[in-house]
Amino acid sequence: MQTFPKILTCLLAVMLFSCKSVLDLKPTDKILAEDLFGDPEGVKLYMANLYYQLPMEDFAYFRAGFNQNGGDPNNGGFAPAMVTDEAVHSEFGDFVGDGDFHWWDQGYKLIRDVNLLADAIPTLQIIEADKKKLTGESAFIKAFAYFALAKRYGGVPLIKQTQQYTGDVESLKVPRSTEKATWDYVMELCDQAIDNLEPGDGKSRRVTKYTAAALKSRAALHAASVAKFWSRAPMSGPAVTDKLVGMTAGDAAAYYTACIQASELIINSGAFALYGANPASPEEAAENYRMLFANPNGGDKETILIKGFTLPGNLTGHNYDIWYQPAQSANGWPHPGRMNPTLDLVDLYERYDNPGQSAPVVTTTEGDINDYGGFNAGLHYIQYDSPNDIFKGKDARLWGTAILPGTPWKGTPIIIQAGYVLPNGQAVVRTKAETTINGTTYYTYGAANTSQYSGFDSYGGNNTRTGFSFKKFMNHAAPVMAGWNQSTTDYIEFRYAEVLLNYAEAVVESGTGNAAEAAKALNDIRRRAGHTTAIPLTVANVQRERRVELAFENKRFWDLIRRREFHTEFNNRLLHSILPLQDLRALPATKYIFVRVVVPNSNPKTFPERSYYRYIPGIAGNGLVNNPQY
Amino acid sequence: MKRTAFIVGLGLLLTGMAACEKDNYDAPDAALYGNIYDAGTKTLLEQDVIRGSVVELKEHGWDNVQPQWLIFKTDGSYENSLLFEANYTVAPVRGNFIPVEPQDVRIAGRTQLDFNVTPYIRIVSPTITRTGNLVTATFQLQQQVTNNVRKIGLYAHSDFRVGETLRLTAAEQDINAVTDPATTYTLTIDLNAPNVRDILKPGRTYYFRIGALIDAVESKPNYAKAVSFDL
Repeated sequence: MQTFPKILTCLLAVMLFSCKSVLDLKPTDKILAEDLFGDPEGVKLYMANLYYQLPMEDFAYFRAGFNQNGGDPNNGGFAPAMVTDEAVHSEFGDFVGDGDFHWWDQGYKLIRDVNLLADAIPTLQIIEADKKKLTGESAFIKAFAYFALAKRYGGVPLIKQTQQYTGDVESLKVPRSTEKATWDYVMELCDQAIDNLEPGDGKSRRVTKYTAAALKSRAALHAASVAKFWSRAPMSGPAVTDKLVGMTAGDAAAYYTACIQASELIINSGAFALYGANPASPEEAAENYRMLFANPNGGDKETILIKGFTLPGNLTGHNYDIWYQPAQSANGWPHPGRMNPTLDLVDLYERYDNPGQSAPVVTTTEGDINDYGGFNAGLHYIQYDSPNDIFKGKDARLWGTAILPGTPWKGTPIIIQAGYVLPNGQAVVRTKAETTINGTTYYTYGAANTSQYSGFDSYGGNNTRTGFSFKKFMNHAAPVMAGWNQSTTDYIEFRYAEVLLNYAEAVVESGTGNAAEAAKALNDIRRRAGHTTAIPLTVANVQRERRVELAFENKRFWDLIRRREFHTEFNNRLLHSILPLQDLRALPATKYIFVRVVVPNSNPKTFPERSYYRYIPGIAGNGLVNNPQY
Repeated sequence: MKRTAFIVGLGLLLTGMAACEKDNYDAPDAALYGNIYDAGTKTLLEQDVIRGSVVELKEHGWDNVQPQWLIFKTDGSYENSLLFEANYTVAPVRGNFIPVEPQDVRIAGRTQLDFNVTPYIRIVSPTITRTGNLVTATFQLQQQVTNNVRKIGLYAHSDFRVGETLRLTAAEQDINAVTDPATTYTLTIDLNAPNVRDILKPGRTYYFRIGALIDAVESKPNYAKAVSFDL
């Protein structure tokens, strides 16, 4: 009887120790930080996720934000270029809305994710060189994220390390820093990235020293411009009083210098060059320019960072080819032809016989390029032999950026015709009609049915209404797959030409730096486009060059913002189209005339000044001061 | 079967109706109205409806409150009859007048609040006449501040609320200088010009209004009264 209590006591004593760590059991369905970051493959995986979250304004960037390529991303193909003067949508007339282009919650999510990694780096069991690389990459990702926030919101809360929750929510709330402090932090992070990263070859899709310098060049130019041009559209209110938005002209010089130095780091490295820098003819230049974007990986030494769209499918492919293909090559997709480059953009491109000047398309012998009143039988329209002769002699990049009327695409001449002028001088425009003269039938849209032409017939909200279809970035080699997320053209996030243009702008705007080198940078880009005459370095020349070289790379929106030109450029602004008409008065000869008009069915656009900044979401909860006029 | 379904359906409906209480908050029943006057001439100060001057209201008793904005009618009057009764800080802001200090106001029932301000620019002796195809405006400017005048314009629209922000066509002139009150400015719209004749059509009524914009932070144009013509 006495043994039983003894055994019991022993058992109890054993049990006292056996369950010591029952509450410290590690979950088996979750990866722990030290395991993930302790394994180089784990870090690589984590890094891939961080790269994926980078706010790159690529083919999946639309009004609703980034990575709009999952599931059924049906936004009608309304691209960011369509809120600038680069393009209009074939159907929608929308403009910048308060809810567009936000990146707040996702921004702070990325910042938290990258902070977790950055904080873990010192504890990782990896060699010093790898640690340095991770440090540099983390700094780059953070800089990229804060740049995306600063250009949208001005000064933002700077979360420099991972926040720890200790039970007090209030302690997690960080007030906004000033806009200047935010830009300075972006500069500081760029410098950390530049110092820690190796040069690399520019071919890798991970960032290098030069990618970080390219980011700094871009961000510094943005900051400098806001400082210099703030007074073009000054604002008021608590956010301005507290300097949460806005800088002074005196702040500009340091940022311009930062842009010049970062750009020079890339230029002087000798690691980069323009693709097809010395074309033999404008035709070769146009094809080089198209090739660079259709296949960035063949872009030789021009690309600094490429984002891959690797596979067709959710979140890996994109939708540029379905939305923006001309109807003739739509291959069954029901809504093509939705990116319509404007006449306003086309007018900008220089003519080779008049270097350094925009060359608006002249349609009449009277030569009035400001007459948008429609066809007028009293004017003398110049008759051309083909629907694109009127554009001959214009910059190669126009031919590489847009599908002009009658030019071939995928082996087919793309017919873009708005109507005809009957032998009696009556014009039939933008209406489906046909007429038979001497046994031959002529169609207003240039052909009999909707699969044979690509312009002006607005069925389904399709087809260009400006006279131009879209070419840049489009896949020339493969037929369109009529489904979601099937395009796999890669996107160039940073390229050498942009760095040269940043450099030229910083030099000419600041009046500092090497003006001869900056002029060379400007003219090297023009040389690549087939120009042989150098033009002087002026503000106007740099801006025109920027608009034509970087068209549709989602730069124009931010150029209008940072230079505070949006509200003056878009004050009751109507954009313009060109109507190619067949002139049947010339029969039996085949002749075309062109009429400059306001984009059909469009309304004037006016930029509200508050849109220079996005509103801060959720101020009732996060306690932040909102931006002016929200 | 039908009867059972009906009873079950009725039961669900009744349960659903009993589940929620009716919103028991009072509807907003206070109103704020008034006019904005040129303190010098005691006349109403003309405004824009789109992107014009606004009255900013901040309701007291909330942290980090989102302001509300009331717009003016073109003649300078305003009214909002769906406000909650409370104390507010009120000021006309971002306007075509020298900025004024906000004031605290108790809004209850119908509360009248007029603003007396000094406009940036007074448009003096405005005339708009039509001779044949030409609509001509003449006027002088009296600046009340020493800033530059950015631009002047004659704006046309089929709506009587015509202005810099609501126009079908305009004749504008950049000034970018301090103006002399003795100078008479003339602006002309040619109704037969290529980009006008298709927009301002014969047989309809159009409104014309003279405006002038000062170069100041968030400034809005000052106007003379609109004049209408049957073309």
